[in-house]
Amino acid sequence: MATELESYFLNPPAGSAAARAAEFGTDLTLTLENLRLTPEERIRKLDSFIEGVAKLKASVRVIGPTEPNAKQHH
Amino acid sequence: MLSNIIEAPLRLLGEYDIKCVIVGGVAAAIHGSTMLTNDLDVCYSREAPNLQKLATALQSVHARLRNVPEHLRFILDAETLKRGLNFTFVTDIGDLDLLGEVRGVGNYEDVLADSLTVELFGYHFSVIDIGKLIAAKRAAGRPKDLIALPELEAIQEAQALKNQTQS
Repeated sequence: MATELESYFLNPPAGSAAARAAEFGTDLTLTLENLRLTPEERIRKLDSFIEGVAKLKASVRVIGPTEPNAKQHH
Repeated sequence: MLSNIIEAPLRLLGEYDIKCVIVGGVAAAIHGSTMLTNDLDVCYSREAPNLQKLATALQSVHARLRNVPEHLRFILDAETLKRGLNFTFVTDIGDLDLLGEVRGVGNYEDVLADSLTVELFGYHFSVIDIGKLIAAKRAAGRPKDLIALPELEAIQEAQALKNQTQS
């Protein structure tokens, strides 16, 4: 069944809901990745992502417009 | 900074044995959607014993109404829950929305029908059926609900194909 699921999302049949989602702009490779997880893993992944975004927001410091020839420091 | 803001409220509901169905974005995530959400929405049973347990659970995490001035008096008990229907709470462990009804689907019993049981963090939870979740999102009609539909419909179709193959 795994291959049928993969095929459905990676090569959506014409007229299918997956084809419409792909046309809409949904990245179905990410959906397929999620479907390989258990429900609990999906919640943990969501929590981890929310936490990551919150940390990112907390760490952002706006310096100003980027100069065209400025070197980027990492 | 809070952590596990979805897991922690789920554990709370499990610990207090609250009769509810997971709906909204977390239900979508459980079904496999990649759309992000940062609060937990549940449709809850309005039976008196459940309201009492719910009030006790919410008190334990200092739940207060979201976007309501602090000075406004709000008594968090079963009677208040009985008098209201839908509540949006901020708590010590994350945001939690309680819905007495889900637009496009109905009340707790309607949402519970055809729901899926999943085990999360050692507890059993009911999760709204994907078809009903799609109906609810369509009825809500907000842009953030509508953009979730194509992916949910693809997941629903994939589940139907899987069930066909297995039967």
